[in-house]
Amino acid sequence: MTEVSFEVESLSKSFHNNPPVLTDVSFRYAGSGAVGYLGPNGAGKTTTLKLLVGLLRPSRGHAYLNGIEASRNRKAALWNVGALIETPEPYPTLNVHEALDTVGRARGLSREDIDREVDRCHELLDLPPLGRRIGWLSKGQRQRVSLAATLVGDPRVLLLDEPTSGLDPAERVLVRRLLNGLKRDHLILMSSHQMLEVTEVCDQLIFLDHGRVLLQDRVENVAQRTRLGEVDVEFAQPVPPSAMTPLRAVATSVVALSERRWRLSFDGSDATRVRLLGLCQTIGPVVQFANTSLVLEEAYLELIPKTTEPV
Amino acid sequence: MTPDSTDPAVPSGKEPVARETVSDLQHWRIVTFHQLGHYLRTNRFYGLLGFVSLISAITLASQVNAGIAAVRYEQLFKSSEYLSNFLSYTGLWVILAAAFFGGDALSVDFSTGAGYYMLVLPIRRPVLLAGRYTAAALVTLAIVGTSYGFAAVGAIYFFGAPSVPWSLLAGSLGIAVLFSLAALSVAFCVSAFIRTPAAGVLITVLALYVGFTTIQAVVELAGIEPWFSLSYAGGAMAAILDTDFVHIQTIPLGEDQYYTLWVSTVTEGLEIKAGYVLVFLPLSAYLYQRKESTG
Repeated sequence: MTEVSFEVESLSKSFHNNPPVLTDVSFRYAGSGAVGYLGPNGAGKTTTLKLLVGLLRPSRGHAYLNGIEASRNRKAALWNVGALIETPEPYPTLNVHEALDTVGRARGLSREDIDREVDRCHELLDLPPLGRRIGWLSKGQRQRVSLAATLVGDPRVLLLDEPTSGLDPAERVLVRRLLNGLKRDHLILMSSHQMLEVTEVCDQLIFLDHGRVLLQDRVENVAQRTRLGEVDVEFAQPVPPSAMTPLRAVATSVVALSERRWRLSFDGSDATRVRLLGLCQTIGPVVQFANTSLVLEEAYLELIPKTTEPV
Repeated sequence: MTPDSTDPAVPSGKEPVARETVSDLQHWRIVTFHQLGHYLRTNRFYGLLGFVSLISAITLASQVNAGIAAVRYEQLFKSSEYLSNFLSYTGLWVILAAAFFGGDALSVDFSTGAGYYMLVLPIRRPVLLAGRYTAAALVTLAIVGTSYGFAAVGAIYFFGAPSVPWSLLAGSLGIAVLFSLAALSVAFCVSAFIRTPAAGVLITVLALYVGFTTIQAVVELAGIEPWFSLSYAGGAMAAILDTDFVHIQTIPLGEDQYYTLWVSTVTEGLEIKAGYVLVFLPLSAYLYQRKESTG
């Protein structure tokens, strides 16, 4: 199988005489995995995705999907790409099956494969009845149909702009599980404000603000860099404060968050982290030892406010 | 996976889906059927079809009420004259259909989420345009064909099937098809230019109906043949059926003052309509290709 990739090279975009939305953004990812694209509203995340799929033309630089620029050859660039950008709306007059059928045929699937793919998506995403018209669906159902359209034909590059927006918590879990499975042999670029989602799904992170890349790194590196000396531990059973006494010899502070959850501050070294984990396991079964979601949120807040002054 | 890495993909166990290369022609068919499926379920299609059917039925009913003898007398005992008069509203139907089905055919991609569904598929934009244009032409033809159907039924009822000039009627329908294509080309061009679908529909109606008619009247007053006007070219649909066709009429208005009235010849009408298609359709494709999804 040909290796799939997405790449932006010195990419800049401005509209008319306004300040640039993107300035000299560059990154390239290939193979498989998930990349989280983070930044505040107006940072340029959606603009980047639009430039990749050719919905916008770069002011400067290049955007490649599988080595091809969509602004030059849309058909070839998008052949192996599924994109969920903004809020896609299939015609409300069509039913779910018809909406997905068009996508399948456009991507070169046979009639049998389309039916198989629609059934697969129906199962994966708990789609509404296939005969129901799009116009009659709830927002969440429409979002799931749009996500299904992104997946029909199994394109290997997935560009997802806030893929869980408009979904209820159960649907979000469903989508996160799906993406975790897909990232094993798909390349995913996912913009999101949901730190938990990014933590659970992504291997790599790109922080963007005011159209500039602030940081690119692996999720665990970003987490370590930011909040090295703090972990949250969650036990399977409630733990009395007296049981936490052995930890106080190693941790600089031990704070109860609930009966089962505790926040431990320490010197940040791996050796102490290992000792703390060992001690926790002697107290009781540990469900979770690091809350990287919180850590990422803090990383986000640490990076972004510095540059969110009005330009 | 790391930036610039080439980590081998870890198979998920799912077999890749077999996908055939899709030609532009196949994409055109896919888009046409997709768009047609949409149009045929819209209120605007049934509304316009119902309206045309209602007006045609009322016309026919009033003629039946007047009686065969009266209608024959009024139409100079010629079925072609009857058809020519019955179809005099066809231009309006074409313009309304073109506005309803073409006026927002492209702008819908940039003002609603429809573009985020279709424009991210591996289909060239000119092919998308071609598919939508074909679908719009087919539904417009259904509307116009309905009017022709009523006209044919009336001609058979009042004059008998043998006296109906079928070849001329078919020729008139052919001109109506070309007129539809020309009007749709203008509508698509407006749609590629305007961002709001409702504005696209409105501007198309205003441009094709009010605009052209007004300009035509003004230039005729100035003694100039309105050869550039699409509504002028639309006259060819009736002209082909008119046995007493007159291209130029000079009407005296007073002392040394004349008003010259032009009616498009069939050839002239065909040329003007073809010209509109040749200018506005490629222009639509160019504008659509260049348009960005900034919303």
